[in-house]
Amino acid sequence: MGETLRLLARDKVALAAALFLLLVLACAVFGPVVLGEAADKMNLRQRNAPPFSLADGWLYVLGADALGRSILARIVVAARDTVTIATLAVALSLVAGGTIGLVAGYARGWTETVIMRFADILMSFPSLLLAVVVLYVFNPGVATVVAVLAITRLPIYIRTIRAEVLEIRERLFVQAARVLGAGPVRLIGRHIAPVTVPTLITIATLDFAFVMLAESALSFLGIGIQPPDVTWGLMVAQGRNYLATAWWLAFFPGLAIMLTTLSLNLLSSWMRLAADPTQRWRLDRAPDTGAR
Amino acid sequence: MGAYLGRRTLQSLIALAGLVVLVFFLARLTGDPTNLYLPLDASLEARAEFRAKHGYDDPFLVQFGGFLVDLTRLDFGESIRKARPALDVVLEAIPTTLRLAAITMSLAIAGSILIGSLAAVRPRGIFDRTASILSLAAASAPDFWVAITGILLFAVALGWLPTSGTGTALHWVLPIAVLLIRPFGLLVQVVRGAMITALSSAYVKTARAKGVRERSVVFVHALRNAMLPVITVAGDQAAGIVNGAVIVETIFGFPGVGKLMIDAIEQRDFAVIQAAVLVTALLIFVMNILIDLAYAMIDPRVRHG
Amino acid sequence: MRASRLVTGAAAVLSVGSVASVAVAEEIKVVLSEEPDIVDPCEASRSNVGRVVKQNVAETLTEIDPDDGSITPRLATSWEQVDDVTWRFKLQEGVTFHDGSPFNAENAAYAINRTLDDTLDCEVRIKFFGGMEVTPVPVDELTLDIKTAEPAPILPTMMGTMTIVGPNTPMGERTRDPIGTGPYRFANWDVGQSITLEAFEDYWGEKPVIDKATYVFRGESAVAAAMVEAGEADIAPNIAVQDATNPEMDHSYFNSETSRLRIDMQLPPLDDIRVRKALNLAVDREAFRGSIFSEEVVPATQLVTPAVSGYNPDLKVWPYDPEQAKALLAEAAADGVPVDTEIRLVGRYNIYPNATEAAEALAQMFRDVGFNIRLEMNEVANWVDIFTKPFAEDRPPSLQQAQHDNNNGDAVFTVFFKYHSDGGQSTTTNEELDTLIEQATVATGDERRRLWQEAFRMIHEDIVADVDMFHMVGFTRISPRLDFEPNISMNSELQIAKIGLK
Repeated sequence: MGETLRLLARDKVALAAALFLLLVLACAVFGPVVLGEAADKMNLRQRNAPPFSLADGWLYVLGADALGRSILARIVVAARDTVTIATLAVALSLVAGGTIGLVAGYARGWTETVIMRFADILMSFPSLLLAVVVLYVFNPGVATVVAVLAITRLPIYIRTIRAEVLEIRERLFVQAARVLGAGPVRLIGRHIAPVTVPTLITIATLDFAFVMLAESALSFLGIGIQPPDVTWGLMVAQGRNYLATAWWLAFFPGLAIMLTTLSLNLLSSWMRLAADPTQRWRLDRAPDTGAR
Repeated sequence: MGAYLGRRTLQSLIALAGLVVLVFFLARLTGDPTNLYLPLDASLEARAEFRAKHGYDDPFLVQFGGFLVDLTRLDFGESIRKARPALDVVLEAIPTTLRLAAITMSLAIAGSILIGSLAAVRPRGIFDRTASILSLAAASAPDFWVAITGILLFAVALGWLPTSGTGTALHWVLPIAVLLIRPFGLLVQVVRGAMITALSSAYVKTARAKGVRERSVVFVHALRNAMLPVITVAGDQAAGIVNGAVIVETIFGFPGVGKLMIDAIEQRDFAVIQAAVLVTALLIFVMNILIDLAYAMIDPRVRHG
Repeated sequence: MRASRLVTGAAAVLSVGSVASVAVAEEIKVVLSEEPDIVDPCEASRSNVGRVVKQNVAETLTEIDPDDGSITPRLATSWEQVDDVTWRFKLQEGVTFHDGSPFNAENAAYAINRTLDDTLDCEVRIKFFGGMEVTPVPVDELTLDIKTAEPAPILPTMMGTMTIVGPNTPMGERTRDPIGTGPYRFANWDVGQSITLEAFEDYWGEKPVIDKATYVFRGESAVAAAMVEAGEADIAPNIAVQDATNPEMDHSYFNSETSRLRIDMQLPPLDDIRVRKALNLAVDREAFRGSIFSEEVVPATQLVTPAVSGYNPDLKVWPYDPEQAKALLAEAAADGVPVDTEIRLVGRYNIYPNATEAAEALAQMFRDVGFNIRLEMNEVANWVDIFTKPFAEDRPPSLQQAQHDNNNGDAVFTVFFKYHSDGGQSTTTNEELDTLIEQATVATGDERRRLWQEAFRMIHEDIVADVDMFHMVGFTRISPRLDFEPNISMNSELQIAKIGLK
């Protein structure tokens, strides 16, 4: 642990990413308690007040939205629902899709065929139709949003992991393990799955951004988050109408999404190096700035 | 190979049939188009009459029977909104969509392989850091945001490009650029990740030891091994453009199949939903078959069982 | 494209200079927010169809004056009521359809029968002639009698919605190549891309200035506005208030829409009039003006605009008085009305520009006086299901974001459907009002106007059926080279022939 922190402290970029993610987490945990009221306080006379002015107090430093509410306060408060939904949706599709993909790639035969054609069907099924069906058939709460988003993203994990497994299972060390009598569970869990992790993480971090933005489309259909609750995706979507006249409405929540995604990715690729004994040496070396 | 293709095609056709059945019933779970088609003031009698005339009051199974009978004549039904054969409506929109997808994905794949590989040569180097941050930022930017800002900047303020529409090659620049950023950003990351692994693998070390030139170590030996996930993710992104380039189609006035599908779902234009899903699914299934064939070509150890 | 516009422009300048002017094609480009699905003139009451074909391609017998709802001649020169169930129209002489067929009583009758044929689901029939039995009877070449089974006192007004297509337009089948008598021929439809209209050489009326109009389609208001700004288009009929930032180019107009929240009066606590009054008193209407809506919207007292015959000018706008709202709620609560029941505010994304913000603001204002509101945005189909009968038995009490557009001159198109016990969207059940509506429907002239005015008074003062919002405005961006001022009819038509050049 101490060793990991020491390594992290050496890498300024990874450190910054970690700190930013901590900040987002803090917002998610404490935001609604501290700024909940400020985020809902409407003042139409302050509609679309521009950013970087302290005239109305520090809460309005990022400007005000179309109802004159503090954008800063709303971003802080929205962190909770945004992070919850995105994390659940990404985690669910990653775990489910990853597992199914592992099974498909390892099992081959008819299991693989059924799984892969099922993935083809999911991939071709229009996600809006899925959302509307859910709206009509189920109770449109937060759980349904998570489910819709997760199901839509399943095929990419299934297909990618299965493709990787096809190659990995032919590698020498897997063949060796098999010859030494490792059972399928052990083979998948100990030998194959770990090799697929980097690709999974890469896709998952970028899916974070996608899911955060896609979730807002469901709000307009009446599924999931409804005002006065708010997420970054919803803020970005509501700011869309004002892009030409008040860019800050969509820009700052969009920036929050971007920075979160970026931090997740930078930190995860750092962790990947830190966790891999064969790559770890790269971290102990001073970052290559190319300046020398 | 031939046997594999035949079997694979057969499986895909079965899946396609399953998809069409699924879409048929699920779409009808969301209500019929009567209330949406008729004006709000239409009387209950007018609504009942409309339902009866178009068969929306029949049990789903009866409607499905009618659909199957029509299918045997290759009739996909008539769009209730457009009063035309649904298949015609969809086929009209396909070329634009395909062109958008083809141009975007070729650029995204070529660009990401170059940038991603160079980044992987020196992980955490200055080039890697810059490329990563830029591509990630691009991939997580809201597409409509990029689209509208692009129009305001390049068309209105600078006057370099047309705002929208499909007339000349210049009209394609902004839409392609907007479509490009997410697949490009994602693929750069995937290429980079796969290449870092590939470059530290035993056979690359062997190749280096044999004195193979660094450029061909990276772009031939390592890349070949890194291609599997790249192709898969590229396929997923291409599918995304085929059935979901809605933002670009709406904002730039490109009459593609994504907008058509969204409108049809909103209006419960069942015939168009079915035809659009069938045609796009067909494209996606064919693409997936090609991708699976490509796996075997890239890595001969991956045999088709 | 821009280059060709420049050439056209340059040619226009030259032709003004030289006396022996060569005929120059004057072209304009219109940006609509949505491509029409069909262009059959019998669907002209849909705004995106109407803006292309109505009065441009296909004309009507009468025309409704957008300013005061009066009826003016178009293809009919005059009309009179022969008896209770017969109106006689004298038709314009020397009119031909675009395909050369003559316009006469027989062909007019054909066009009317085609629209009213129930094998076609024409919106004009369902919306304006639903449940009516109408028989056109040619009397001579230029005289047409229109008989109805029941007395139809406002038939001339209704004929302002009935587009006349040529006799070669197939019966019982949609046309994709509409033929009318209008100043423009339907020249080309490149699906997904554009629709082109070209001036009709043999038009019976005044020759228009514009020779060719091309319609293109952009869903995003900011893009439509940008196209006019960049000189790629000449008119964007419908842009959002926040994009109307250029006073040189942007014109506002009353779009004949009136917004409101429909109160579901059948369920407690909304069945109590004090609660409904409290809702109205809780809304700070002034705060909406110049913020979420344009400064030019006008607080409404009834669901029709002053241009509609039957508008009651004496009604008072609800004041903003949160204290009184709280007092009324307390009073109702003391009488056992369950005022803290959760009320659903049923919103619809984009029902009008900034609808989501408006719904959020309203919800907040209601909460501020003590209501328990849950905002719920809906997709269109769901919204319509909630809005129209049959209402679900187990529904929660609701307020529903709605907007109504009556640009057809008479209040009957509004009042029956929205407030009569049998109206398809009415939650009102008031026998006195029902009787009044039935009387007004068959009355004529001043009596008719007076009865509608009384109906609106009852709805506003005695029943309080709505949370009144605004008479809305739309914004049009118009290139400075055009000479054109939009008016209230802009929501349903765009007469290219009325556009001039500066």
